[in-house]
Amino acid sequence: MTERCGCLQVGQEVPDLELDMFDPVKCDFGSVSLKKLKAAKKWTVLFFYPADFTFV
Amino acid sequence: MITVSRDTKFVHLAWQRDEKALANVRYPMGSDPTGAVCRLFGVLDEKSGLALRGTYIISPKGVLMNSEMNFFNLGRNIEELLRKVRGNIHLAGHPAEGVPAQWKRSGDLTLKPSAKMVGKVSEAMKK
Repeated sequence: MTERCGCLQVGQEVPDLELDMFDPVKCDFGSVSLKKLKAAKKWTVLFFYPADFTFV
Repeated sequence: MITVSRDTKFVHLAWQRDEKALANVRYPMGSDPTGAVCRLFGVLDEKSGLALRGTYIISPKGVLMNSEMNFFNLGRNIEELLRKVRGNIHLAGHPAEGVPAQWKRSGDLTLKPSAKMVGKVSEAMKK
């Protein structure tokens, strides 16, 4: 069977990723790293949306 | 909880400051200007360059446990998202169980699949 999608599937390991971010609590910039979240034994929800100033 | 779009962190700041509905936001607002993370999860709409409404739950071991994707104009139900997160946390501690569709939180009935239950799920759900 040909691969339907090159992207991640449920059950697969997510590669370590890092994103620039705005932290509204500190009102400051920073970064989030999946590696650090894993080290802290946290569950992570990634919530994608099209763009700021739209309706989430 | 990390929200992700292709906007820069500067636009995130401006939006959070401007939009009253976001006044109580506590979660980090992630920025993926290259779309690399969007592509990794398959949420990038190549025509518009925007991210579709995808939601992904990742375990502390780094395994992708849930995947949900909606088109641009359909919102997500946060109660259902929280139910899925609670369900995953419960199952991580009770790997032999199954969490049924109507399960809401730890303490609610779960199923323990066995030979006895085959064809008897309806009876098991009434316990």
